[in-house]
Amino acid sequence: MTSTTIATANAEAGRACLRINRTHLAAIVLLAPAVVLFGVFVVLPILQALRFSFYDWNGYGSPSKFVGIENYSKVVTQRHFGTALRNTAFIALVSLLVQLPLALWLALSLYRNTWFTAFFRTVFFLPYMLAEIAAGLMWNFMYDGNYGLARALSDAIGIEPNFVLADPAWVMPAIAVVLVWKYFGFHMMIYIAALQGIPNDMIEAARLDGAKPWQIVRHIKIPMIRSALAVTAFFAITGSLQLFDLIVPLTNGGPNNASLTIVGFLYQFGVTRMRIGFGSAVSIVLFIICVAVSIIYQRAARMAEE
Amino acid sequence: MKSMTRALCVLAMTAHGALAGTVEIDMVHIQSNPGELKLMDEMAAAYEASHPDVKIKVRKFGEDYKTMLSTALQSEDAPDVIYSWGGGVLTDQVNAGLLRDIGGVLTNDNKSAVGPAGVDAFTRDGKLYGIAQNVSEVVFWYNKDLFAKADVDVASMKTWDGFLAGVKKLKDAGITPIALGAKDKWTAAFYWDYLALRLAGKQGLDLARAGASDGFLAPAFVKAGEEFLKLAGLEPFQKGFEAAGYASSSGVFGDGNAAMILMGDWNYQESKTNSTSGQSVPDDKLGFFAFPSLPDEKGNPTDTLGGINGWVFSKNAPDEAVEFVTWYQDAANLAKFAKGGYYIPINVKAAESLENPFQRQIAKDIGASTYHAIFFDQSLGVNAGSAVNDVSSSLASKAISAVDAAADVEDAMAGDR
Repeated sequence: MTSTTIATANAEAGRACLRINRTHLAAIVLLAPAVVLFGVFVVLPILQALRFSFYDWNGYGSPSKFVGIENYSKVVTQRHFGTALRNTAFIALVSLLVQLPLALWLALSLYRNTWFTAFFRTVFFLPYMLAEIAAGLMWNFMYDGNYGLARALSDAIGIEPNFVLADPAWVMPAIAVVLVWKYFGFHMMIYIAALQGIPNDMIEAARLDGAKPWQIVRHIKIPMIRSALAVTAFFAITGSLQLFDLIVPLTNGGPNNASLTIVGFLYQFGVTRMRIGFGSAVSIVLFIICVAVSIIYQRAARMAEE
Repeated sequence: MKSMTRALCVLAMTAHGALAGTVEIDMVHIQSNPGELKLMDEMAAAYEASHPDVKIKVRKFGEDYKTMLSTALQSEDAPDVIYSWGGGVLTDQVNAGLLRDIGGVLTNDNKSAVGPAGVDAFTRDGKLYGIAQNVSEVVFWYNKDLFAKADVDVASMKTWDGFLAGVKKLKDAGITPIALGAKDKWTAAFYWDYLALRLAGKQGLDLARAGASDGFLAPAFVKAGEEFLKLAGLEPFQKGFEAAGYASSSGVFGDGNAAMILMGDWNYQESKTNSTSGQSVPDDKLGFFAFPSLPDEKGNPTDTLGGINGWVFSKNAPDEAVEFVTWYQDAANLAKFAKGGYYIPINVKAAESLENPFQRQIAKDIGASTYHAIFFDQSLGVNAGSAVNDVSSSLASKAISAVDAAADVEDAMAGDR
């Protein structure tokens, strides 16, 4: 190899290096605002919560009493934490196994555009547009056996009114009803949008080949909206993990903490008691659960792709 | 031309004066009665009129008052005058150095106007941090008609055994004895508070808070839970009380669907607001009696549970803020609030203007109280206080043992000692 070729090679490398630097620069400039915002409003609070979770702190002044992992052991041994985990899992299951199939069924019946379907789509979507607190208060009234709809109904059929929200055995199913009512319309809309994207000639072709309606649903429609199904499943699970604002006006976590969710537990024993350290420990546990769920979800999604 | 220059000069001077001399006072509260809010605004306007150098901003903080306040107090722009329930929350705020010692600004007249209890409620380590404004007391409100129907004599309710017998009698007569809104928890806590107050007395409570002799695991507090369970065992509450909030329960009482409710003096108004008719139990059918006394109690039957609320000042609050509040708390001004029945002023002279006979009687009772204990969810601080609320609602539905209940309170208190 002669010295000239080496020199040219060096020059080439130098130019390449420069080029990379330039693209780097562009990337840095373009990414900076997003990274800064993400850092300040997402990463920093998570790190703060992580730090607070090692302190016994009531929110006044700055945290100074370091307690190691004591907050975490308190969370795990707290007698209502198990209830909160179970309830959250129950909500996730109901969302996946009741809410999504119901939404899919309705979407399949309503996705064609006529005035009739447009009307019912709007009706079914209405609950989703209501504020959570308003919806919770409304259902608290409906379930109220003294003054509410439950009273009127049981009076009409001549039975003793039931107080489902006051009964530890029935409170979670009662909440699940509200939850399904509140959010199925949202999932239905996503399915409808996806179903409308399926080319008509494909369904036409299947029909000509003699496929029955059920077979068309099973072998064409559902596979074609697979990504919509995956997205709604993800929303349903993360939504269940974060469920809180609907329950406060409904039961406030009661009766006797029987309807606590993880976030409800955090609010009840962390926020209202001004135990910021303890609350932070709960939020870190919740964060770990969320990360675990999303990793499992990604894996499952990739496996389904393959 | 000359006059115009002079006018401009005057204008410039006043503008300058307004900028340099005006003190802004930011006052936050959680009151909600429209009549009271209007009166508060009128007071502020009247004071501004006579003090052109002072501007007063009266603001209502939302339902999450305590949480919002802890953030606001630590911000650069903290409110100056803050509505406070005293208690452990005040202690936390004082310990964090967020409040101003106003002992030096107040005159002896100011202090004697609120009485020793009013001064005590806002004193920490010998320093005075606030001005007491109003008092409240928790009593058993009862419906005279329903008592007569079940042949229950109110005099028999003086003792706990008599009270339990009365509850049984009401129940046998097909009447719901007690309205309770356990979803809100603090409503149920009044039972545990009162039982603990009767059984342990002031001294027992002070010892428990300090952590002496087993703290809240001491026998008196376990006994309080047991007696509460005894009452709950009679199933005295309306159906679905676990899911009912305070508003709903005060409506149940107001509509004559329950014979009693253990609640503060404010329930007089709330039962009207929340009853279907908007009328509640008519005045001549409405009565109240003190929480019964128990065998072997260490407290006095004349000890009362309630609140002493008032105004505290953030650490950078100007003297003008304290001066305004002392004027605002003047007997003549407070009398206007008393007349409207918005609250019972701690100032005895102002309390004379109370027109409502029930409030007058309650004011007298508090005046005669041997020890006016502050609501436990205030006096014990938010953590242990919330624990009391939590276990009380569980006791009401027999979902926790008396020992576990006491242990939960003690655990929470231990963290704060």
